[in-house]
Amino acid sequence: MRVAIEELSKVEIITREAKVSELTENASRFGITGMTIYNALGCGVQLGTQEYENEKSDSLRLLSKQVVMVVLPTREVDSFLDFVEKSLYTGHIGDGKIFVTPVTNAIRVRTGEEGMDALKEGTLD
Amino acid sequence: MGEKKIGLGSVIATGVGLVVASSCLLSLGIGAGGIGTPFIITMAIACVVNILTLLSVAELNALMPNLTGGLAQFSLAGVGPFITIICMVGGYLLCNSLAGSVEGAVFGNTFSSMFGGSIPPWVFTAVLIGFLLITNLNGVDVFIKVQDFVAYALIASLVIMGVLGTLGIGTGEVVNQPAVLASDFKSVTGICGLAFFLFVGGEYVIPLTKNCRNAKRDIPLGMILSMLIILAMQIFMVLGFKNYTQWDELSASTTPQILYGKMLLGPIGRYWMLVVTLLAAISSVNTIMSSLSYILMGMSKIELLPAFFQKTNKKGAPYIGIVIVATFFLVVNITGLSSTDSISFMIAVLAILWLISYMVSNLDVLLLRRRLPNAPRNFKVPFGNLLPILGILGSGYMIYSIDPSVEVKLLIYKVVGITIVALSIYSFFWVKIKVKRPLFQPYAIKEVMAMESDLYSKFHKKVG
Repeated sequence: MRVAIEELSKVEIITREAKVSELTENASRFGITGMTIYNALGCGVQLGTQEYENEKSDSLRLLSKQVVMVVLPTREVDSFLDFVEKSLYTGHIGDGKIFVTPVTNAIRVRTGEEGMDALKEGTLD
Repeated sequence: MGEKKIGLGSVIATGVGLVVASSCLLSLGIGAGGIGTPFIITMAIACVVNILTLLSVAELNALMPNLTGGLAQFSLAGVGPFITIICMVGGYLLCNSLAGSVEGAVFGNTFSSMFGGSIPPWVFTAVLIGFLLITNLNGVDVFIKVQDFVAYALIASLVIMGVLGTLGIGTGEVVNQPAVLASDFKSVTGICGLAFFLFVGGEYVIPLTKNCRNAKRDIPLGMILSMLIILAMQIFMVLGFKNYTQWDELSASTTPQILYGKMLLGPIGRYWMLVVTLLAAISSVNTIMSSLSYILMGMSKIELLPAFFQKTNKKGAPYIGIVIVATFFLVVNITGLSSTDSISFMIAVLAILWLISYMVSNLDVLLLRRRLPNAPRNFKVPFGNLLPILGILGSGYMIYSIDPSVEVKLLIYKVVGITIVALSIYSFFWVKIKVKRPLFQPYAIKEVMAMESDLYSKFHKKVG
């Protein structure tokens, strides 16, 4: 298996749609060269119960959310997470969840570049 | 999105405007008249203690952003319902009510000094309160358009007069008197409580967070700079007093700024300060009457006060709160707030209650840091727990040194003690019977945040 030289991590952020623009505006500060955003339906431990409701819902209520997925150098992850947490924080239920996973490699199909080279502006063009 | 337009300048202007009220000038006159220019040191100490608390409030605001109930909601999450009701609902509301009463007294005294003749000052206060009661019940805020202008006019007047007096370039006669009346440690720190009153209210800036362009930086910085600007302004006034006003006349005056205006610029100065003071006092009484009734409504929504405070009349005004607040202002004024001694006593009581709620706010920061050490905070008070602890100690020291006279101090403590005991009894039974929660168990932040929604009380009422 081909493994990237530089350690990479994938950060997936599930949050409210209204908060996504704050993330996209400032993402370039952390060595992020691309981003994927997709709509999602889901719920967390409250099973979709609104925070003002008195009792937890018995059945699952799926709420509309957005998922922001970025791959970035692992050394940038801590500062990026700090920024993301502070940007998303409102103190209310539903601020979001962040998942961080290691990425063993990334490949740009068109040029065959790997690792961070595949995420940066291409040098082989 | 487009609403975010307030910058640091606006935050500072609002902060200064909200803190400087005409009753502050009374504290300034009493303090400076008592010990002379060393009162500047007293003011600096009070300013620093206030800044420490405001930093804590800024951190709490970062943890629980955009709450309308302010300190009460922070403390609900920090120390639970029992202490919150005593310090914040009781103490803080009482403070604001007393502050409104003192502003009313300033209006009455000022008006009486000019046109009163033999009519007692409280009569003018009562007429003003009656007028504002009617306008507020009709849902009309008569001063909303001019209150910013009035606040800034007062500030600009004080700055101009302070600088003129400091430089000794007024048209009046320069008074030859010692700058220092007392400079020993006890005298200088013994009236910290009085000086504290010059800076209270900085936390009113917090609601601007929503409209701030860079709230993370501008709210804490704006609050600190507001305090420093107010300190500078008051220093100029004290130096001006030294040059143009006899210390003993100053400390005995119920309207020191008008006395100073007259001594500095003659009749022009007197009328200038008179008009500005009257407008500022009317504006303050109106603002406090209106905002308190809404705060009562907010407290009721989060179940800390009886539900009748949420009732509104046809005009949408929370009429029960308005009537209660107006009656309170009236009773306090009729029972005697026209002499300097009674007002300064009231200010001391008020300062202690306010200081207690500030101590609890500092404590909230320490408790929430232990409970939620990793929660993201867009602003965190620097140097670990040192500054909140200093804030608590500083506030405690100001309570201890509220008055240089032991006799007066004990009397002040007695009034505060009786108030706290009465509030504790109310709080105990309210929490046990109505709230039905453990007395000292803090609310989860998510619950405090949820309470902000109107739907919260609807949902909880249905079931409860």
